[in-house]
Amino acid sequence: MTTFFSVAYYTFIENIRKKIFYGLILFGGVMMGASVLLSVLGGQQTLRILLDLGSSAIEFFALLGVGFSAVTLILEEMESKTIYLILTRPVSRFHYLTGRYAGLLMALYAGMLAMALMHVSLLLFNGWVFHARYVLSLFLSAEKILVVGSVALFFSLFSSSAVSSLSFTVFFWILGHFSGEINYLGTQIPSLAGKLAIGIFYYVIPNMQYFNLRDFWDVPQVMGNWVWLSFAYGCAYSAVFILLTVMLFKRKEF
Amino acid sequence: MNAIELCNITKVYTRKNLFSTVHSTGVEHLDLAIRHGEIYGLLGLNGSGKTTAIKLILGLIMPTEGTVIVQGEKVPSPAVLRQIGFLPEAPYFYRYLTAREILTMYGNLSQIDNVSESVERMLVQVGLEDAADKKLEEFSKGMLQRIGIAQSLLHNPVILVYDEPLSGLDPLAMQVMATVLLDLKRQGKTILFSSHRIAIVEKICDRVAILSRGSLVRVLEQPEWAQASGELERIFIADVAASSELGRIKLP
Repeated sequence: MTTFFSVAYYTFIENIRKKIFYGLILFGGVMMGASVLLSVLGGQQTLRILLDLGSSAIEFFALLGVGFSAVTLILEEMESKTIYLILTRPVSRFHYLTGRYAGLLMALYAGMLAMALMHVSLLLFNGWVFHARYVLSLFLSAEKILVVGSVALFFSLFSSSAVSSLSFTVFFWILGHFSGEINYLGTQIPSLAGKLAIGIFYYVIPNMQYFNLRDFWDVPQVMGNWVWLSFAYGCAYSAVFILLTVMLFKRKEF
Repeated sequence: MNAIELCNITKVYTRKNLFSTVHSTGVEHLDLAIRHGEIYGLLGLNGSGKTTAIKLILGLIMPTEGTVIVQGEKVPSPAVLRQIGFLPEAPYFYRYLTAREILTMYGNLSQIDNVSESVERMLVQVGLEDAADKKLEEFSKGMLQRIGIAQSLLHNPVILVYDEPLSGLDPLAMQVMATVLLDLKRQGKTILFSSHRIAIVEKICDRVAILSRGSLVRVLEQPEWAQASGELERIFIADVAASSELGRIKLP
C-alpha cells in the first residue's frame, strides 16, 4: 500500500502546483461573482439564483477539470515516458493506476472545496442561512466527478487518444442526464431485441440524475436514503470502470 | 549464473488499425548473456533492437518467444525489478515536483528502508544538494541527467540498465557519465547500456554486442578492439553498413 499512497500523494502535489488548477478555481470564482449581477434579475429569488448558479459553476469547472485531466492522466505519462521510471520498480499496475486516479481526485476535490468556500461566503454575505443540505449536494457533485473521471480514464486507455476519449466521456455525461428518457424509450419499443439493446444501454450509461440533489432544494422528502443510495451507486459504477481500466492497463506494453 | 540472459528472444510488435493489422519485428532469435560485474555495450543503428532488448529485460514488453532471466529469475518479477536501476534515454520527470520530492517518491516506490536518508545521500553524491528544493522545471538538461542517475542508484541495485545515457550530452557531460559508469563498475555493479557513441563505448566496455535489424551480429571482447584506436568503429561499420535499409542521400 506504500506504493499506492506514494503515487497518490505525489500526483496530488503535482496537480495542485499546475497553473490550470488555479485557473479553474479562478474561473469558478468569477462565475460566482457574475451570479451576483444575475441575481438582481431574480427579484424575490435572489438567494436561489446565487445558490443554483454557484453550485452549478463548482460542478461544471470540476467536471471540466476531471474530463481533461483524467483522459491525459496515463496517456501523457505514456507519451512523455515518465511511466517507465515507475513501472520499472516493484509497483503493481493496479496500485499505480488507482494511485494516480486517487491523487487526481484529491486535487480536484481540493479545488471544489476552495470554490465551495468562496460560494458559501458569498451566500452568507447575502443573508443565507447555512443548511447541511448544501454539504450533501456538494458531496454528490463530488461523486459525479468520481464517476465521470473513471469513465474518462477507461476511454483514455481503450482508445489511446485524448480527443476520442474526451468525446466518449462527454457523450456518456450528456446521455447520463437522460437516463429516465432512455428507460422510457425502451418501454415504447415493440421489439424484444430493441428493448434488450436499450435496456443494456440504460444500465451501461451512468445515471447522473442520482447525483443532482441540488435540483431538489425545496423538496425535503427527497432526502432520506437518496444520498447514501446515490453514493453506493456511484462507488459501484466507478469501481467497475476502474477494474475494467486496470484490466486494459495490465495488458498494455510500453 | 549470468546477471542477465536473453534466451532465443523474439519480439513481434502488432499494431491494429481499423481495417488491418501490421506486424513488425523488434528482435529475432536474440541470445545475450551479460556476466556479473562487467560493462556491456549494445551497439546498433536506429531500429536495430537495442531499446526493445532493454524493455524486455525490464518487463515493459513481453517476448513473443523465448525467455529473459535476470539474476536467476524469470522476467517479469518484482524481485527482479528491486535489483535493477534503469535510466531511459532523455528521462522525463514530473516537472512540478522538487528534486527531493521526486527522489523520495522513487525511494518509496522502490520500497527501500530509510528513504529520506538515502535521498539526502544521493543528492550529495550527484552534486544537487543545493538544488534539492527547486522544481524540476527549473533544471537544466545536465541537472536532469543527474536526477536520472540518482533515481537509478537510489535503491542500491546490483544491475544498471542505461538506454542511450550519452544521448544529447555535451562532451564534458559525456566524460562525466563515462567516469560514473567506470566508478559503478568498480563498486561491483553490472552495467548494460546502449549507445551510438562508439568512442566512449570502446573506452569503457568489457564486451560489446552489435545488433542489426533485430538480430545479433556478433559479440566482441575488449582485446578484440583494444589493439588499435578506432578499431571498434571500423568493425561496427563493416558489420552494419550492409544491413542499413536507407539508401544514400543523392544531392543534386
